[in-house]
Amino acid sequence: MGLAGLTLHGRQIGRPAVFGWRGLIAYTTLLGLMPVALYMIFLFAPPEQRQGEVYRILYGHVSVAWLAFLAFGIVVIGSVMHLWRRDSRWDSAAVAAAEIGVLFTTLTLATGTIWGRSVWGVWWTWDPRLTTTLVLWFIYVAYLVLRMYIDDVTLRRRVAAIFGIFGFVDVPIVWFSVQWWRSLHPVQTITDGEGLSPKMLATMLITLAAFTIFFLVVLRQRYLLERASEESADLHAMVRNRIDDERQAAIPSATGAKT
Amino acid sequence: MLRRFIVGFGRHHVIRNVSLTVHAGERVAILGPNGAGKTTLLRTLATLQQPLGGAAQILGAEIVSHRRETRRHIGYVGHVPHVIGHLTARENLTFLASLYDLPTSKPRIAEVLNVVGLSDLADRRTRELSRGQLQRVAIAAATVHEPEVLLLDEPDTSLDRDCARSLPSMLDKLVPSATVLLSTHDPTVAASVCGRSIMIDGGYVRELDAPRNLPPVRPEKPRHASAPFFASIWAILRKDVLVEWRAREQGPPLLAFTLLMTMLFDMAFVIPAATDAPSVAAGVAWATLVLAASLSGVRLFGSERDQSTMTRLRLTPIDQSAVFVAKYVVLIAQVLAVGLVQLAFLSILLDLQLFQWGLIATLLLVAVSLSAVTTMQSALALNTRARELLMPLLAVPLAIPVMLAGVSATLATLQGGGMANTVPWLGLLAVIAAVFLSLGIVLYPQAVET
Repeated sequence: MGLAGLTLHGRQIGRPAVFGWRGLIAYTTLLGLMPVALYMIFLFAPPEQRQGEVYRILYGHVSVAWLAFLAFGIVVIGSVMHLWRRDSRWDSAAVAAAEIGVLFTTLTLATGTIWGRSVWGVWWTWDPRLTTTLVLWFIYVAYLVLRMYIDDVTLRRRVAAIFGIFGFVDVPIVWFSVQWWRSLHPVQTITDGEGLSPKMLATMLITLAAFTIFFLVVLRQRYLLERASEESADLHAMVRNRIDDERQAAIPSATGAKT
Repeated sequence: MLRRFIVGFGRHHVIRNVSLTVHAGERVAILGPNGAGKTTLLRTLATLQQPLGGAAQILGAEIVSHRRETRRHIGYVGHVPHVIGHLTARENLTFLASLYDLPTSKPRIAEVLNVVGLSDLADRRTRELSRGQLQRVAIAAATVHEPEVLLLDEPDTSLDRDCARSLPSMLDKLVPSATVLLSTHDPTVAASVCGRSIMIDGGYVRELDAPRNLPPVRPEKPRHASAPFFASIWAILRKDVLVEWRAREQGPPLLAFTLLMTMLFDMAFVIPAATDAPSVAAGVAWATLVLAASLSGVRLFGSERDQSTMTRLRLTPIDQSAVFVAKYVVLIAQVLAVGLVQLAFLSILLDLQLFQWGLIATLLLVAVSLSAVTTMQSALALNTRARELLMPLLAVPLAIPVMLAGVSATLATLQGGGMANTVPWLGLLAVIAAVFLSLGIVLYPQAVET
């Protein structure tokens, strides 16, 4: 039995996900923009008056923080759509976004604590933004762990989607509760006082653009990897079922009975 | 009627493209070796798992799209009895009858118990019964609501020879006009109970006999209803309270755990001045309660799962969200009880007057909102491996706002800020409860239906 002619989800088997023109544009832009962003962060942007050089970490910190929130937004959209449409592609998008979201939240926390130690004198304080980010990190780590502990693939997707929705709904509640709980609000360091200088603003925007493209590229690759994994499992099952079918067809008496 | 019906697990097809019609009142035996897929077929027809393809209709209703309708008309006996061990056989049947909203259940229950030969043991807890006796309770439970379709998965298993022999007459008395699908390894049982047989082998179905002696089509009986939403909640709640009262499975360990944690936290904090006592009390009280609730959440659905009674609940035609609400109320009661004892304990440890109206209101709302968060996480952890370890990871991060609101409301009360400082926090707790309860009611059925 060969695989020729087999299709899965409307696509012919053996045809890999194409690295198309969108991918080409994204990679090219990323390769061009990332060195520019790094140059601007470390050489182009002037030092901050009060914080000195350490503030430069905030260009990356702000970028990964916003992208982490974007990732978790994608998780909740994927989760809702999966429960609604029962399409596994939405689940793949959710799991891809959750993994990258956790990675970016880890980077946010790491860069934030390094900056906090230098500027505030402490590695950690229970301020609303830090607390919310840490709780968010725990919620989506739990989301990923939960997926590992459910064997049934259909149930795994559904339960993870429900948890993804619960987790996202909890975030604004955490935010407001922590904000009310602690009156120690951090000043928005970058826009404090006279605001950003033009050079700082340009650096921030370029960094944000570079990280966003990086995020989209990684998200797409992770999504394709998840789809490849799903399709490989589907294909494996399809081949096994077809082998069983053909084996059974060879037995003359065993045909599907009809009444 | 099955049309190109495919059943299996995950992606693997166990039975492929079955097309089969079973007429009303017919009794059909399903024969086949181990692993042929008899159980999977019957579980799928019983709406306990999703088919992988094709269509199946029971009494004209498609089983996937009309799941509740289907459940009204089927009875199912599986490999495990799906009965509640701490209830008697009669209580098990009464509980089920209340979920099917049977109007005259007492005579029917007495009749069913008599037919399966359990009249003498009807008031003994089912955990004290033998395997064979449990199987008879299972047959009674599957037939108490007089289903039009009865699915029997090797019902002769564990029955003694006399009882197995009397199975056909038992079915004649219990469900005289029901359509029966019975799986068995034993051709003798098949021949004695059923008019025709089919064989499942290698994933396909073969007819061994042509349909014969078809009974005349009878006028349709009035269809059973299911218990209304709040009646279902009440029935499950009564059952849970009775089981907990008899088993004392959750209350005592939960209480001991909470007191132990309170003592541990209190010891760990070094209190430099008496003025810090309210702060310590607030933190210890609600952090401990969050941990206790997550621990309790493990057992909330876990005990049903351990006894396979979740399956029994899923077989009934009730709105499954009623199970969620009933478990939610049970957890509220547990958290409240533990919280009250804990407040008394903390009052002694910290020499504080903690029984104040503001704190009682806080405890009530903490219990209501914490339970809303934890009940759903407990349902999500139901089908996971290592759910005891997973449960705190799922529940605690989501419960952090509850803890913060509880701590802040407690501090506001103890520091004499008046109700004006406490009320916003109570409002936040009410919002959390409303949000998570609504989400739970909507999403719970999706979390437990496999």
